[in-house]
Amino acid sequence: MNWYLWLVQLWAAPAALGFAILFNSPPSTLWRSALLAVLGHLIRDACVHFGIDIVMSTLLAAISIGFCAQFWATQQRQAAPVLSICAAIPMVPGVPMFKTIQSLIDMAREPSSQLAAAYLADAGANAARAIMILFALALGISAPWLLKPGMKVKKKT
Amino acid sequence: MPPKEPHSVVEVALKAALLVHQSGGDTTRTETTMRRVAVALEAERVDTMVSSLSLTLNAKLNGAFVTGMRRAPHMGVNFRVLTGMERALHSLEDGRIGMEKFEELIDRLAIPRHYYPPWLIVICVGIACGGFAAMFMGDRIAIAITMLAGMAGMATRLLLVKWQFKPFIMVAGAAFVATMVTGLLKSFTETPEIAIAACVLFLIPGVPLINGASDLLNNNYLNAMVRLAMGTILIIGLSLGMSIALRIVN
Repeated sequence: MNWYLWLVQLWAAPAALGFAILFNSPPSTLWRSALLAVLGHLIRDACVHFGIDIVMSTLLAAISIGFCAQFWATQQRQAAPVLSICAAIPMVPGVPMFKTIQSLIDMAREPSSQLAAAYLADAGANAARAIMILFALALGISAPWLLKPGMKVKKKT
Repeated sequence: MPPKEPHSVVEVALKAALLVHQSGGDTTRTETTMRRVAVALEAERVDTMVSSLSLTLNAKLNGAFVTGMRRAPHMGVNFRVLTGMERALHSLEDGRIGMEKFEELIDRLAIPRHYYPPWLIVICVGIACGGFAAMFMGDRIAIAITMLAGMAGMATRLLLVKWQFKPFIMVAGAAFVATMVTGLLKSFTETPEIAIAACVLFLIPGVPLINGASDLLNNNYLNAMVRLAMGTILIIGLSLGMSIALRIVN
């Protein structure tokens, strides 16, 4: 892989910014989400490049995003999801998701059941990929919260 | 300071939690917001229930139990509210503001205010779609086509939101327009599949899906199912719009 191909990772920043603007994020949080998005994408693709599978790579990337977002959030009295969700959205497995549904639609209109079976296998593989990547993302983003014992309320209830 | 009126404490806590619930916070965040407000306002005991459609809070104040319930229909994502709420909660917990000031702050958050005008949202979402096409290694023309299609799709979506269509129709319509634009221009690029795949990605319901998965991991199984089902239905709408457009183009 040539070095300049890694520059493609920078496109994660406008992708995250588009969503941050769509979600009405405060302007002061924008550059942090963009930076986290690039960081996450870079970590994921580097892991894939070194032979780790896509689900594990996504998990590692999401954990980094989650902890960086939590760090900034505590420092700035900010809500962590505002940063982490915008940064994670470019990694949401959108393509496998709609490919699953399209394979199912194709399967429904296929008269021969042998060909339909191929569509079903296609849909199953895409669905498994989408679900696993989605859970890896959610697990990584909420890792700072999940790894914290007890409830986060200041006074005793 | 005079003792706080239990009814108004429950009212304020529910108001705050309702805002979080409807702005893209997950169930744990909604629940914690309610609890934090009530505890900061000197509730001795707090019990909460967050369902996907309603919030219930029972608080014990000055020896009296008060229950409040609010209907909470699903709404979009608004990170301005989450940010503002976190700041207001910190101030309240640190004792820098009182209940009246807190209520004033969240009333101000409840007024819809957009940081960005619609045309800027349309342009930025278009560029985001172009970014997806670039990350899938599409060629330059594919990136340009995807940007154009993303802008057309987003404009359609904003229009359908304005006319108050159901989310399913909204997503299907926007996906149809975006795929049509890409499909009509696909002969100019060598990577048409990438352009078609990337131009609808702005419609993927990322927040319900991530929040749903995170609710599952945080023991809120029922709400998680509601969110994941919502996300799945929107993806089906997306695929429907795409399939119709692809069939017309081919």
